[in-house]
Amino acid sequence: MLTIENLHAEIDGKPILKGLSLTLNAGEIHAIMGPNGAGKSTLGYTLSGRPGYAVTGGSVAFMGEDLLDKEPHERAAAGLFLGFQYPVEIPGVSNLQFLRTALNAQRRLRGQAELSGGEFLKVARAQADALGLDMEMLKRPVNVGFSGGEKKRNEMVQMGIIDPKLAILDETDSGLDIDALRTVGHGINTIMRKPDKAVLLITHYQRLLDYVKPDFVHVLAGGRIVRSGGPELALELEREGYAQVAA
Amino acid sequence: MIHALDLDTLERPKDEAHRWFDFDALKAAARMAPAAAPDPAAWFLPVDGPRLVFVDGVFDPAASDPRTVFVGENKRVDSAVPVGIPTEGEGWALFLGPDHAGDPVQVVHLSTGRRNHVPARIGLVDDAVASVIETYAGPGGWTHRMTEIGLGRSARLMHSIRIVQDGGFVSLNHHAAVGQGASLVTVVLGAGDAGCRIEAQVTLAGPGAYAELSGALLARDTTGKEAALVLHHAEPGGTSRQVWRSVAADRATASVAARVEVARDAQKTDAEQSLKGLLLARTATINAKPELEIFADDVKCAHGATVGELDRNALFYLAQRGIPPVEAKALVTRAFVADAIGRIGDAAVRDAFMADADAWLGDGV
Repeated sequence: MLTIENLHAEIDGKPILKGLSLTLNAGEIHAIMGPNGAGKSTLGYTLSGRPGYAVTGGSVAFMGEDLLDKEPHERAAAGLFLGFQYPVEIPGVSNLQFLRTALNAQRRLRGQAELSGGEFLKVARAQADALGLDMEMLKRPVNVGFSGGEKKRNEMVQMGIIDPKLAILDETDSGLDIDALRTVGHGINTIMRKPDKAVLLITHYQRLLDYVKPDFVHVLAGGRIVRSGGPELALELEREGYAQVAA
Repeated sequence: MIHALDLDTLERPKDEAHRWFDFDALKAAARMAPAAAPDPAAWFLPVDGPRLVFVDGVFDPAASDPRTVFVGENKRVDSAVPVGIPTEGEGWALFLGPDHAGDPVQVVHLSTGRRNHVPARIGLVDDAVASVIETYAGPGGWTHRMTEIGLGRSARLMHSIRIVQDGGFVSLNHHAAVGQGASLVTVVLGAGDAGCRIEAQVTLAGPGAYAELSGALLARDTTGKEAALVLHHAEPGGTSRQVWRSVAADRATASVAARVEVARDAQKTDAEQSLKGLLLARTATINAKPELEIFADDVKCAHGATVGELDRNALFYLAQRGIPPVEAKALVTRAFVADAIGRIGDAAVRDAFMADADAWLGDGV
């Protein structure tokens, strides 16, 4: 589904990713762990096409197409979803309006019929219920006045509504208490644990991996994958620390 | 009459209140050749009530249904007016007696070229309630309106004004006196591509009066749009609100100068002012000039003025969810504009005005 080969990327002329290679197949969940400044968030932003993140080398194929050739909204329509570490507040734009606009823009680009207001509300309500987010919250402006946990839950509701092929979840576990962590973990499994989907979980800690079992764990350090393994690698990292394992 | 003014000798006012006045645009508008008038029916909202159409300042009886609204010669309106324009002439007037609640009055002003002027008066006697919706449309020309408003004790007026004229210039001049416990809410949408100047002087003339002057100015290309507003608290216990949102793209200029005056006797005044500007291009200009002049000592006056650009983080967030750049910009800008247009109480009017703002935004910002 996703093939990253020898990816180099920089911000303001400063190289962050230095030859990163990674392959995700449909049906797989991968976790990327690593110390601060390793380039974890940069990987998510580079793959989603954030302005300012310049690719200087390598290639990324997504669903058989050149991902780097596409605009950010085209990458989204192709099925790529980025769960933000810090979801953005947008005053004056309601969640429902935002999501309906987004979903229909994606559907338009894919040549699918747009959803009517009623059809969309049905989808939105089902996803909000599944993640324990009050429907009233979806009527409020995007992330405005939401607690850290509510913002992350909202990211998962958005993921459920948009129903992507590949989700890159950037520290979705940060700022969550134990109950919220369980809900979010359950959400990821329900929405994304499917034979035709894949997940790239970016995280510092093992704790989210108790709820979302990864098939593969990678250690990102210095802009490259320095080790790959199974779920046991996450436990080893938790025990030994990054310095030890990445060395 | 405005028609008799000699454009060549007409001088640009030099006072501070006309600092951002695009006088040349006004003169150029007045020299535009008349064109065919569009169909006024398209500009009426589907609400029942009196309907008035003025084409190039001339009442169109065939397209109108004035009912209780007076149409005819308006004699002297006792106010100072800009660039020396007398305020007499054919116009309209709405007078409502005590406890009378009128159906919404819709006035459509179509301008095709040259210059036109219509004086208007709105007088609401004690406890009367009215809603007036005015639309300025048409291809061009200089449209000038002088409106005098008087509200008696506890009367209430919702005055919604949309300027969607395609070209030329629209200058509005409002003089209002708000009586004891009365409420005047004026919300203006300046969309379209005509230049505009909205001038208003509102006096809270009775104790406990409420006055609101809000609006959104959307300017692009090289258009200049401005509002020059004075809210004068003359009596105690008055409340006033000003919420202005300016959007400027390309090389356009949007300016709001809003003054709150609190007289010595106007204790317990509660005034709030929020002027915000959104620059859609670095070549555009936003001016915001909040002014407070306070002579009473027991008052609450809040004011804020900010100018900024679209939030790039928000735009990327929207893009990542699949919203193309043009749509994303329009969505965020729309939210900004909605702060002001949302002050309109009637949902049907509010939605129609937002649709006009959407049309402007959808044309590409």
